[in-house]
Amino acid sequence: MDLVPQLLFTGIGIGAVYALVALGFVLIFRATNVVNFAQGEFSMVAAFLMVVFAVDLGWPYWLSFLAALGGMAVLGALFNLGVYYPLRHRSYLPVIISTIGASILLANTTLALYGPQPQVLPGWFETQGILAGGVFFDSQYLLIIGVTAVLVAFQYWFFEHTLVGKKLQATSQDKEMASLLGIPVAGMIMLTFVYSAVLGGIAGILVAPVLFVSIGMGSTIALKAFAATIIGGFGDVTGAIVGGLALGVIETFGAAYISVPYKDALGFLVLVVFLVVRPQGLFGERVAEKA
Amino acid sequence: MALLELRDLSVSYGEVRAVEGLSLTVEPGEVVTLLGSNGAGKSTTLKAISGLVRPRAGQILFEGRSLMGCRPEEIVRRGVAHVPEGRRVFPGLTARENIMLGASNRSGLSKRQIRAEADAMFELFPDIARFGDALGWTLSGGQLQMVALARGLMAKPRLLLLDEPSLGLAPVIVQAVFRIIAEVRRRGTTVFLIEQNARMGLSVADRGYVLESGRLALSGTPEALWANDDISAAYLGGSRAVSAAG
Repeated sequence: MDLVPQLLFTGIGIGAVYALVALGFVLIFRATNVVNFAQGEFSMVAAFLMVVFAVDLGWPYWLSFLAALGGMAVLGALFNLGVYYPLRHRSYLPVIISTIGASILLANTTLALYGPQPQVLPGWFETQGILAGGVFFDSQYLLIIGVTAVLVAFQYWFFEHTLVGKKLQATSQDKEMASLLGIPVAGMIMLTFVYSAVLGGIAGILVAPVLFVSIGMGSTIALKAFAATIIGGFGDVTGAIVGGLALGVIETFGAAYISVPYKDALGFLVLVVFLVVRPQGLFGERVAEKA
Repeated sequence: MALLELRDLSVSYGEVRAVEGLSLTVEPGEVVTLLGSNGAGKSTTLKAISGLVRPRAGQILFEGRSLMGCRPEEIVRRGVAHVPEGRRVFPGLTARENIMLGASNRSGLSKRQIRAEADAMFELFPDIARFGDALGWTLSGGQLQMVALARGLMAKPRLLLLDEPSLGLAPVIVQAVFRIIAEVRRRGTTVFLIEQNARMGLSVADRGYVLESGRLALSGTPEALWANDDISAAYLGGSRAVSAAG
């Protein structure tokens, strides 16, 4: 088995999960100018919903998946109404604290309902994967990469080629002006939260069979995704994707060639290096865009 | 019935009284200008009309119905478009996309129809026709003003509110902007125009009001306003200031 392509494949697979969660960060950040610290909990809650539907209730996988995403859409809407909307005219600090509070609430509610025992969610496919050209393509990682590619393509089309996408962009660039044009700003922000919750949920469901489904999985994923957004350049969609993939690959290679226990530390080392050397990230925000 | 009527409008920012007891009317088909120095309360008046700030007291009537308490989204849907100070063109969208979003207050239009209308706008604004695909942040001040005006017109407003369209523009561009305002009026849109540049404001207006520290100081036809020597010197940068400089 060739090690380098194998590691590259695995790294891109795990990086795709970071990229999806990072996209959720970026979308909410652009719409509200606030980092949503509960973004990782969206992934955790979705994974638990999946365990409830697919394992406990024994529903078909696809039905459980749709039901979990429906649940995430509702959660995203409630999150907007309860956590962001009442504080929308305040500065960023109360909103950030509010999202941190929501993150603790979601984690502990799940803990109270399901207990501390990590759960196992089977993968979508029966087969483990396929061996091709000396590389083992794990079926779950293939699914992750495929779904991420489709979502990124969808998002590009949606934001660049639909009027609603343009209205979302306008809302994130200047809310007051958007409202003067008759764009329903509150509705656009609601849409952003719902979509980000679903995006985080898909990431959580996809990665659940690779990891255990646990209360802590949300914060782990969110920290990595947060690092990915900083590496890519905060507020930049392309940056979030590239940053997520890069972090996944760096981690995987670090685990193989340097040390497995220090895998996570290596990811954060890269984060620190970026913060020191290139704080604006790979796709640093163009200054003129803020003018 | 007046298209727009302000009755005893008062607006405060906390303790600061920006507008105090302002009453004025704009009749259908008119161009009316509101003049005054920096900080006189002109922009605040427009923001109150379009719903961006809540008046402390008074009444705002559009086509005889109150606009008080309506959100900006509702007000623009009722036919009042506001082209604000600083143009506020979305920096990350192209000029054409900015203009297309001007139609966001009108429902039931397909993207294709809106795009066709936006392209037709470039006939009224030939100076920006070549920049349809340029991002907002790359445009010059004059181009931004053209995009902002075109975007405002896409709302098909019955009343167009313009906040200092000449601000920061080269004289030749100012002339072009005011030619467009005259053309907009000729096509039947009522315009309520705020200006510090009184000369330009009065050149297109049927009537003018002068605000001083949030209160109405004077109103009348452009001729009457120019004829008042003290007023024209103090608020309009009038003949004395010009002759002193010359």
